[in-house]
Amino acid sequence: MKLCSVGYFMRREIFLTIIFIFCLFQATLLDYFKIFGVKPDILLIILVLASLSFDLKWAVIFSLLCGVLKDSFSANIFGFYTLIFSLWGIFIVKLSKKITLDADYLYVALIAIIVIVNSIIMRLASVFLGHPVVSLGIFLRTSLVEAIYTALVSPLLFKYLR
Amino acid sequence: MFKFKKKNLVYFAVVFSFSLILSSINPVLRIPLINTLKYPLIFLTLVKREIGGIIFYHRNLVQNENLKKEIDFLKQKLNAANENHLENVRLKNSLNFKQKSSFKVIAARVIARSLDSWSSVVIIDKGSDSGVKRYMPVISYLGLVGRVIDTTSTTSKIMLINDPNLSVSALVERSRQEGLISGALGAALIMKYLPKEADIKNDDAIITSGLTEAYPKGLLIGRVIDIRSELSGLMRYAVIKPAVNLSSIEEVLIIVQ
Repeated sequence: MKLCSVGYFMRREIFLTIIFIFCLFQATLLDYFKIFGVKPDILLIILVLASLSFDLKWAVIFSLLCGVLKDSFSANIFGFYTLIFSLWGIFIVKLSKKITLDADYLYVALIAIIVIVNSIIMRLASVFLGHPVVSLGIFLRTSLVEAIYTALVSPLLFKYLR
Repeated sequence: MFKFKKKNLVYFAVVFSFSLILSSINPVLRIPLINTLKYPLIFLTLVKREIGGIIFYHRNLVQNENLKKEIDFLKQKLNAANENHLENVRLKNSLNFKQKSSFKVIAARVIARSLDSWSSVVIIDKGSDSGVKRYMPVISYLGLVGRVIDTTSTTSKIMLINDPNLSVSALVERSRQEGLISGALGAALIMKYLPKEADIKNDDAIITSGLTEAYPKGLLIGRVIDIRSELSGLMRYAVIKPAVNLSSIEEVLIIVQ
């Protein structure tokens, strides 16, 4: 059953459930699919999908939830993902009103760009806060692999969840 | 591209402020969230183990045969080691050596891992109710694993030694050369600040130095697999293979005393 075939209100509940299920998957089962120590960021894919499928209010709510969940399982001192994900939610909703995002390759490119920009912001935040920063080689490897991997996984999820 | 209408700006400011507040109270939200998700995570960890068994069936079969051979070999070794141990105890008693006290530990199971690729964190099923506290060192029977960075009543968050945010003061067991171990998010660790003339070579065992009170002295961290020069040419660094396979760790021991 595709999400487009159910009602708007039902879709929100389904989306909420999917976010929690995907969070659990990312914390456990996705470890088997690591490439170079990197796993795809399926919560980010959900965020993009939510931002493209719902109005601004619900897009922000879902983005915040994804961010809070991601922060809960990571070692960040403050809610880095909570903040950055909500901003991505607003940006994608605004962007989708200006540009038609109906081709799959556009989603793939958008997700890859978001992952790379996220990594850069993360690195800048670490420098700004005085946290230890990984070497440039590791940073490039991790961010590029994560961007490509997440982007390649996204069409699969888009196909069944859109 | 976007027009800055007054309504949009107000909306953006409201969302941004709300996000900022939520970000700042995030540590408070973590505890109920992780506690709520604990049981589904335990269930999924069990499912993960079963799926792993199916995916790696052939590898496990070969591994099983090899392990059976290894068990026979180790049984012989164990008998010899028992003899050595008894002899050791006798000698220690006769020389009036003080018996080294062992650690008091709590065993815990890994139930989840970090969601992002920028930190190396695992969540275990024991928390402050079981006596786990922040900054306690975490080991496995093979060596050092990491450190407790956060606890709830029933779960704890462990930062593994391959996380770039964790540094461990270490020394080469053979030559007592000191250095600082830090993570690089991958399977290997880096031992930094080694002078050019440092006495270190491949396969040397690296142990905790005990210089800081964070980790007890003598815990095995790993073995040297490569030694390289830093770009400046003034110092060298060693690549260390951790004694513990951090990517597939399932059980850990928290040193409480």
